Amino acid sequence: MTLSKSHPSHASSGIQSKSDHALFTKLSLRNARRQARDYLVYFVTMILVVALMYAFNGLIFSDEVRFLSENTAQLPLVIALASIVVIRIICWLVSYTTTFMLSRRSREFGTYILIGLENGQVARLFLLENLIVGGFSLIAGILLGSFLFQAMRAMILTMFGTPYRLAFSVSPPAALLTIAYFVFIYLLAQRKCRKRIRSMKIYELIYFEKVNEEIVIQTSKKRRRIFTASIVLGILGTLLLLMGNLLFGILGAGCIIAFLYGFFLSFASGVPAYFEKRPAKKYSGHTLLVFRTLTAKLASIGILMATISLLFTVVLISEGSGQCFNALFWERAAQNSAFDLFIGIKGKEPDFTDYLEYIEANISVKASRTYDVYLSDDTRFLDYLQANVKYYFQTYDKDSLMKFSDYAALREMMGCSPVTPVPGTYLIHCMPHLEKPIQDSDILIQIGGRTLTAGGIYTENFNQKWDTTNGHMYILVVPDEVLENRSADHRIYAAMTEEPVSKAQFEELEAIEARYADMTDIHSTLYAKSQEETEAADQTVLFAFPLYYLALILTMTAAAILTIQQLSESERYRRQFALLRKLGMDRREMEKTLRKQFTIYYAMPALPPVLISVPFVFYLGNSIGDNMLIGTGRPPVIVLCMLALFFCIYAIYIVLAYTGLKRDVLPD
Amino acid sequence: MLQVKNIEKYYGSKNNVTKALDRISFDVAEKEFIAIMGASGSGKTTLLNCISTIDTVSAGDILLNGENIAELPAGELARFRRERLGFVFQDFNLLDTLTIEENIGLALTLNHCDPQTVKQKVEKIAEKLNISNILEKFPYQVSGGQKQRAACARAMIAGQSLLLADEPTGALDSRASKNLLEIMMKMNQDLGATILMVTHDAYSASYAKRVLFLKDGRIFNELLLGGRSRSVFYHEILDVLALLGGDISDVI
Repeated sequence: MTLSKSHPSHASSGIQSKSDHALFTKLSLRNARRQARDYLVYFVTMILVVALMYAFNGLIFSDEVRFLSENTAQLPLVIALASIVVIRIICWLVSYTTTFMLSRRSREFGTYILIGLENGQVARLFLLENLIVGGFSLIAGILLGSFLFQAMRAMILTMFGTPYRLAFSVSPPAALLTIAYFVFIYLLAQRKCRKRIRSMKIYELIYFEKVNEEIVIQTSKKRRRIFTASIVLGILGTLLLLMGNLLFGILGAGCIIAFLYGFFLSFASGVPAYFEKRPAKKYSGHTLLVFRTLTAKLASIGILMATISLLFTVVLISEGSGQCFNALFWERAAQNSAFDLFIGIKGKEPDFTDYLEYIEANISVKASRTYDVYLSDDTRFLDYLQANVKYYFQTYDKDSLMKFSDYAALREMMGCSPVTPVPGTYLIHCMPHLEKPIQDSDILIQIGGRTLTAGGIYTENFNQKWDTTNGHMYILVVPDEVLENRSADHRIYAAMTEEPVSKAQFEELEAIEARYADMTDIHSTLYAKSQEETEAADQTVLFAFPLYYLALILTMTAAAILTIQQLSESERYRRQFALLRKLGMDRREMEKTLRKQFTIYYAMPALPPVLISVPFVFYLGNSIGDNMLIGTGRPPVIVLCMLALFFCIYAIYIVLAYTGLKRDVLPD
Repeated sequence: MLQVKNIEKYYGSKNNVTKALDRISFDVAEKEFIAIMGASGSGKTTLLNCISTIDTVSAGDILLNGENIAELPAGELARFRRERLGFVFQDFNLLDTLTIEENIGLALTLNHCDPQTVKQKVEKIAEKLNISNILEKFPYQVSGGQKQRAACARAMIAGQSLLLADEPTGALDSRASKNLLEIMMKMNQDLGATILMVTHDAYSASYAKRVLFLKDGRIFNELLLGGRSRSVFYHEILDVLALLGGDISDVI
């Protein structure tokens, strides 16, 4: 209550006068300051949200980013679409928080009306306060967003290999768009509150808090059944998501939504029922206080908790899927980028003349090699891989071979360690995920009347995807002499260039490739490292960036609402611990109880999303990457990164809430 | 059982000292039911807070079963409170998230009592206080009188030796007050509970065996029930209150 601070007697004496107008503004300012202090978490979240909004709007208006490639020109559209979702979510946060503040301060507003202010004036006072807080977060957010924009710009330009210089500036169109979004969000939320205050009676305002306190903890049998059913649905939903079928996936998502709402709505009945049958468990340690505080809370905010849990599930799945696809794009780019320029031709008489003429005239080449790839007589390796590797699919019907001399030269071009031939052996160069199964094989091969044993495995990126490349996922490197009289399957030109192949040069090469494609019996493949990387960067910017934008906003919004809810309970907690102190609980035990209550409160909405998303992302990572994702793209690393990002943001809110609550509720 | 020896309590800073308790001494025997009366600001609640170790005395000693509570180290105070003292407050102070059974059982949980026996112990005491039928309910589902009886049960269940009641009938209507006072008397007579009750209500005080009157932080008078009837005792209390110059409303 700020009644004593706000000098109500002055306020009531003459609302129309100028001095009262000044008082009115002063009161709004003072309340706004207090609001920012009491709802620090909300204030900080709004600043961060504005910063993110501004930074992404900055990308929309940045010509530099827009013209990086043809695809990034679509970026404004993608961000605009993401912004629709973002605005909807922030509307929810602002609307929820203002309604919440209204309920917490209804007695204060009732008193204003009691001392003579009109409902409309109180509504205006509330609006003014919120606009002051909103205005501050807008200014601070845009300033912070300018730095964030620079960081994102640097990240994008680095991905495209474009040089950049950091420069701090505020983009007027981005700032204006952010302000427009913000005003829309605030006015929409405030309109609702204004309507509510205007129609409220003094009695309702003064006793508004009491209405909230009278929520009954229901313990019906029906709810207990829902509790059990929801757990079953949760497990079923997760399993359906892992079936890799669209229809099952949709059904699984439906089951998971039903599980989350069913679980959180029935938890307040299901858990007490469990303890009712086990009184010894209930009365041991701090269980009684912890579980009762939690069930009481869930009885009143079950739907909110389920919605937050659903949002967290969406966040984790979005982050994890985004990372999986991102890893896949970059992994593919890396696989096809062993050489700056790579051309493969398959046909009766493979001929590079058109390509080579163009390259000679337009591209400065550091080193190059033209070589042949052959097919073996037998299929021992192929058979072994098909039998032992889950995601191997056949492109050639025989094992692929290359000469040792070509292989050694190519390794030198790539800057890899040299290899020495051992008579009577062959080498294997394969994609990393095949190393383990091949290592265990020890297959003898027969070629040109000679039997060769396995002499070593190498796994550097080597353009081994699809056909007309260095084999499909693997190639066997054999002594030159055994291939002397064999005809080639396809011919390859690989080169390292002084400068990356430009977009224009690549387009010219593509035109030649198109001409080859028109010829019968000729198949050509063309890769340029620079183009592969641009493509991957395009996908990241268009796909991963907006996903992360949504994920960050969702995480912050949901965590902020959870924290505001928790902090709003500080009075109840304070009363609880004051009583426990009188009853003889020492401070250490109180801290322990508070920590437990806190941990469970924050773990509850996060645990189901983790249990659902972790297996899903593992499954997705393994299936979309054909089990080939390596390094930071491996599913366990993706899952760890996904959880780390989520829990880092979540932890900030938990720490803010815990320190605040501990300070306010535990007796000295 | 309880010995209060020359205790003093000062509040405020150097320039503005308020003496809340001024050299107060009295003894409480085992199984005694004693009421402390006085007008607002006379020091009743301060005295109760000092005895209950919630507040500390500025000077003097408080001995419970020979143990000086003023000398107990801070770490021991919590243990002392939960093992030896039971509390009944004016506003019941039940946790609204716990059922009545759990609120009573909480005192045993805090005393690390065997969890297997909590439920039986609660049921046993609830029967004595006639609240067995509301054990499953939450505080907001029961009447003020029932809440206060639950608070009494919580105050006694762990075998606490001294029950401290601060205006226990303050939030109850006359019928519920009478009911509660009779239960407190029963707890004192049948269960042997030692009760120290702070009240400004003469009717409530008349249920005690002895009444101490406080004025400006000092003991002003003392009345003993002796062999008199409760009605006579009540009128005597009113007479002392008139002399004390307390709130007229209390006397009427």
